[in-house]
Amino acid sequence: MPNKVTIWKLRNNNPLRKSYVSNNIKFNEFDALIRITVEMSKYLYPYIRELMKSKEDIEENSFIWNDFNKRFIELIKERFNTDSMRVKKLLNQAENDEIIIKSLLILSFCISNKGYQKLKNFLYDF
Amino acid sequence: MQNKLSFHQSSASLEIIGLPDYSNNENKDQISIISQWKLNIVDKPLIEGKIEHLGPIMDAFYIYSNLLIQNEIPIYESKLIDIKADNLHIHNIVLKSSKPNVKPLVLKMGNSLLSDTINCFDQLNESTKVRIKKTGITTNIPKKSRFGFNKKVNFFNFFIQPFIAICSLILFSSSFIYFYSPPENIEKKELKNPE
Repeated sequence: MPNKVTIWKLRNNNPLRKSYVSNNIKFNEFDALIRITVEMSKYLYPYIRELMKSKEDIEENSFIWNDFNKRFIELIKERFNTDSMRVKKLLNQAENDEIIIKSLLILSFCISNKGYQKLKNFLYDF
Repeated sequence: MQNKLSFHQSSASLEIIGLPDYSNNENKDQISIISQWKLNIVDKPLIEGKIEHLGPIMDAFYIYSNLLIQNEIPIYESKLIDIKADNLHIHNIVLKSSKPNVKPLVLKMGNSLLSDTINCFDQLNESTKVRIKKTGITTNIPKKSRFGFNKKVNFFNFFIQPFIAICSLILFSSSFIYFYSPPENIEKKELKNPE
């Protein structure tokens, strides 16, 4: 990745985004995105952990989770194609809990030194 | 004097106690002969055991974490440990003692503690100072979720269904050979009984 603009451009390969452009992402770019994701999850692990912990107590209406969910939905509404059924599923608060928790779990399992290989395996299995 | 190594991740810490294998010319600080291990999780009872228990318990956690991500109802069962999901956030872990008359230890673990524990095991696996010899164990994992192998095309399964269908058709139709009466016999019967 030569600079941040390259990463920014690569985001447009996501078919769920409003600004989707099919550029056929290259293998080394895909690889680099996985490495960046793993490094970010290492850095954000305390926050990811707190988010998961906040959902463990069912009776407690967690501020941290509600705040995260609100920001998540706002971001998706702003950047993603809301006409897509998959995006609608992400926006549905009754359904998106499972998607968010599983995504957080995947990130939290990949913070070790070999996390890159683990995340790659998880993605290939999807 | 035994060596002691600790791996920490937030609320979980794993301690490995053992000796280097001097017959392999290993360093003094290496651990290849594990005599004891302890898994300490905040607010949970201490889990400890021998080397023959560590491998299967680590495998159980790894397999379960894979099932959790891929499957809707993840279940892992073995002679030593059972892990089931109570819901999306809580996991029920049953540790069975190898000693007779010892009740199994039941733990409720949230996603945060589960990821802490798996990260401790990851650190142990990646450590150059500890060598773990793998031990065999029988597991009971739902066939559907064995690491996505089910996704690959199995030619035996592909042909077995039409083969069984053809065999059953032959068997079913062969029974009619015994009950079938040719038209000549019917005519003869009609002649015998003109009514």
